[in-house]
Amino acid sequence: AQQQFTLRFNHVHNPSEPNAKGFVNWAKRVEERTKGGLKMQVFHSAQLGVEEDIIEQIRQGAAIGQNTDAARLGNYVKELAVVNGPYFIETKEDAFKLGNLESIKKWQDELATKHGIKVVCSDWVQGKRNFFTNKPVRKPEDLASLRIRTPPAPIWQESIRALGASPTAMSFGDIYPGLQQQAVDGAELVYPNITASNLNEVLKYANETGHITLVNFEVVSAQWFNKLPEEYQTALVEECKAAGQAASAAMEEAAKADKEKLIKAGMTIVSDVDLAAFKAAGEKAYEKLNLTEARKQVYKELGR
Amino acid sequence: MTNMLIVALLFFVLMAIGMPVAFAIGIAGVVFFVQNPDLPFTIPAQVTISQTQNFALLAVPLFILAGNFMNRSGITERLLDLASVLTGRLKGGLAQVSILLSALMGGVSGSAIADAAMQSRVLGEEMTRRGMSPGFTAGVLSFGSILTPIIPPGIGMILYGTIGQVSIGRLFAAGFIPALMLGLGLSFAVWLTAKKRNYPPQRTTRPSLAEYGSAFRGGIWALLFPVFLLAGLRMGIFTPSEIGAFAVVYALFIGILVYRKMNAKGFVHALEISLGDVGAVMFLISLSAIFSYGIVFERIPEVISEGITSITDDVSLVMVLIVILVIIAGCFIDATVLIIMMTPIFLPLVRSLGGDPVHFGIVFIVAATIGNFTPPVGAAMYTVCSILKVRVGTYTRESVPLMIAIAIVSLLLIFVPKAVLFLPNLLFG
Amino acid sequence: MKTVYGLLTRTEAILAATLLLLMTALIFVGGLARMMHTPLNWTVELATCCFAWACFLCADIAWRNNMLMSIDALVERLPKPARRGMLYLNYAIIACFLCYLVYSGGWLAWISRARSFQGISGVSYSWVTASLPVGAALLLATTLLKVRDALRQDGILRPSRERA
Ligand code: NA
Ligand code: NA
Repeated sequence: AQQQFTLRFNHVHNPSEPNAKGFVNWAKRVEERTKGGLKMQVFHSAQLGVEEDIIEQIRQGAAIGQNTDAARLGNYVKELAVVNGPYFIETKEDAFKLGNLESIKKWQDELATKHGIKVVCSDWVQGKRNFFTNKPVRKPEDLASLRIRTPPAPIWQESIRALGASPTAMSFGDIYPGLQQQAVDGAELVYPNITASNLNEVLKYANETGHITLVNFEVVSAQWFNKLPEEYQTALVEECKAAGQAASAAMEEAAKADKEKLIKAGMTIVSDVDLAAFKAAGEKAYEKLNLTEARKQVYKELGR
Repeated sequence: MTNMLIVALLFFVLMAIGMPVAFAIGIAGVVFFVQNPDLPFTIPAQVTISQTQNFALLAVPLFILAGNFMNRSGITERLLDLASVLTGRLKGGLAQVSILLSALMGGVSGSAIADAAMQSRVLGEEMTRRGMSPGFTAGVLSFGSILTPIIPPGIGMILYGTIGQVSIGRLFAAGFIPALMLGLGLSFAVWLTAKKRNYPPQRTTRPSLAEYGSAFRGGIWALLFPVFLLAGLRMGIFTPSEIGAFAVVYALFIGILVYRKMNAKGFVHALEISLGDVGAVMFLISLSAIFSYGIVFERIPEVISEGITSITDDVSLVMVLIVILVIIAGCFIDATVLIIMMTPIFLPLVRSLGGDPVHFGIVFIVAATIGNFTPPVGAAMYTVCSILKVRVGTYTRESVPLMIAIAIVSLLLIFVPKAVLFLPNLLFG
Repeated sequence: MKTVYGLLTRTEAILAATLLLLMTALIFVGGLARMMHTPLNWTVELATCCFAWACFLCADIAWRNNMLMSIDALVERLPKPARRGMLYLNYAIIACFLCYLVYSGGWLAWISRARSFQGISGVSYSWVTASLPVGAALLLATTLLKVRDALRQDGILRPSRERA
């Protein structure tokens, strides 16, 4: 009889988001391809626990997976955080190439052997993050003294500071009331976040800075992964890439549709942003975090 | 599934042998991991710690602290003077005040448990001293805090709106009428009980205008407490998760500088009481995470959700079933956590059957909170009972009228969606 | 022995109270600073770290003062010997559970040293994790003292001289 494996996969997204549907699709493909030998149960809305906790469970060998980002993996292998830097990746096609680059492979190997975290694939692109505010932002100076809600990771905080704003840590649930009561002046998110949380009720401008292209990494326990039969390993990785690339395309479409929705709801889109000025400002983040060398290496391999 | 049945059974056995609920829930929860040796044995420790890293739960110790400081600040006496002037001739007047205070505090406190704890400290002793039975006092203080999460801003509504992609503005507007209905329902139950038991009024004569004036002047800082807290929120100084800190500082400010009643001894005493209160409540909330892990891991909510649709697809009946399940789950899980866990499971179900997400949100948040008050277990109930030293059995017996009132209003809320949706539709079209 | 334990409980109470007040102050100052347009992001992080330690220290204080809620309705109907038996059974199970928390919490703090606290490099999350094994060890000491007191009440142990 064939050996049975079950992977429980946790992510923070709402079940109706394209990413969440993508994970269910990935699970279905894997189960079909391994004829039920490798089952994947998807837990949406972080039901299984806090992302950082799950990553620790993964490191201890639990048969659990997690959708995460480069900023968090950067806590273990510093160089990986570069993927989360301002204007690091501009298109989803470039993001799909990341997994094949020598440097990235080396860092991911270090992550697996030293820290027990296996990256299955990094082909899940959530889209470009923009600044959402109540006054138009066209150049970095326009962000001066604006308190922008930012995820609490240091790479994130440094990136937003470099672009000219005051990063303000705040839990996701506090964003809406925080904006309504002007405890913060804006947020930096992707379009679908705005419609999902109805933040357009408290925000007027979408400033298309596209300052970070958020690439998600799917991780599992290296110890567990190594125990899988080889064909299961291949199935898990290949289907991760296929499902991820399809979900990334769906995310891009969703962002477009959500942008239309927001225009109809009365949000003003600022598209004449001085991108060159923002890119120049973003340089400071790489210097501050000592990631200039890592970026140079990846760009060389990408041919950029 | 059978694994979790064993866990649930063990939980009840441990409680039956008199084990503190916090330990019983943690120990029963660990047994799930014993049955799943593939899971790292450190997960129970990890999830217990994670509870204390949840920023929303920080409001619990902050409001406990604020309550104990208020108690020593002189606010209580003045509030009670005012209460006695206003409701002294009503039977069970102070109980009515507690419900009114819940409504006032509801606008600033996010957590029903914290609210119940604070009111037990502020009003509990006084209520029993004035002749109300301890069991009924505990019931009123505990059930009254049901108003807390549905009067904006409530952390529960913010979480539900964020997770379920529902307009938070609409949810906020939707809370007012149900809060009024629940408040009136409870108030009526209190009046009826007080009448039946012939709780004596505190005074027989009508207060003079001068008495009204001095009571209001004395109590103005207490009355302004929720107003200042709301102003702190409105002016954007604090977010809903932070407002408890402002409450503590305000209580200290009033006690030390305005009423000049709090001295070093009073300050230390209030702190000492708070340590025990915080420990009792937070230890239970922390350890309950061990239990919840198994529930999620075995996908029990999903199994339940499928079970529900196999019984009926009438949206109102589905809501009734969900409410019953949520109240049962609320026995073990804090309302905040329950909302985080269950919104993504039940909201899509209700949506697919044509239910309104704002309507369901209010019904769901009320139900999630009810679980905290009802026997056999519930965090707000334990908090109030342990502070007032009342047995759960006594509490249960004496809370029956209040439970009936809440059950009737809850059913009204389910079957008359207009009551919930009238205000948001008026404000947002 | 007695004075050492007395000193420990005193220190525990002072520490827990300080943490609660510090937590309040941090959140308060954080709100004010954000209002003045100079957000201090470390206040929230430090506050949650204080929160973890305060919780478990307070849990011990609550346990020592018998403030943890239980349902005694069934047990109280038992005859006295059975009731005492249940009490010892409770203490035994609780002590085992606390030993497990000390061990698993301590082990977790050790193996997850690399996990950073709120993503701040150089600050390990183990500083937060350690609050549980330390708190559980204190709770264990309290439990053992409860057992000793119970044994003295039952005349199995000789009452201490101080109390006599
Ligand atoms: Na509220
Ligand atoms: Na309950």
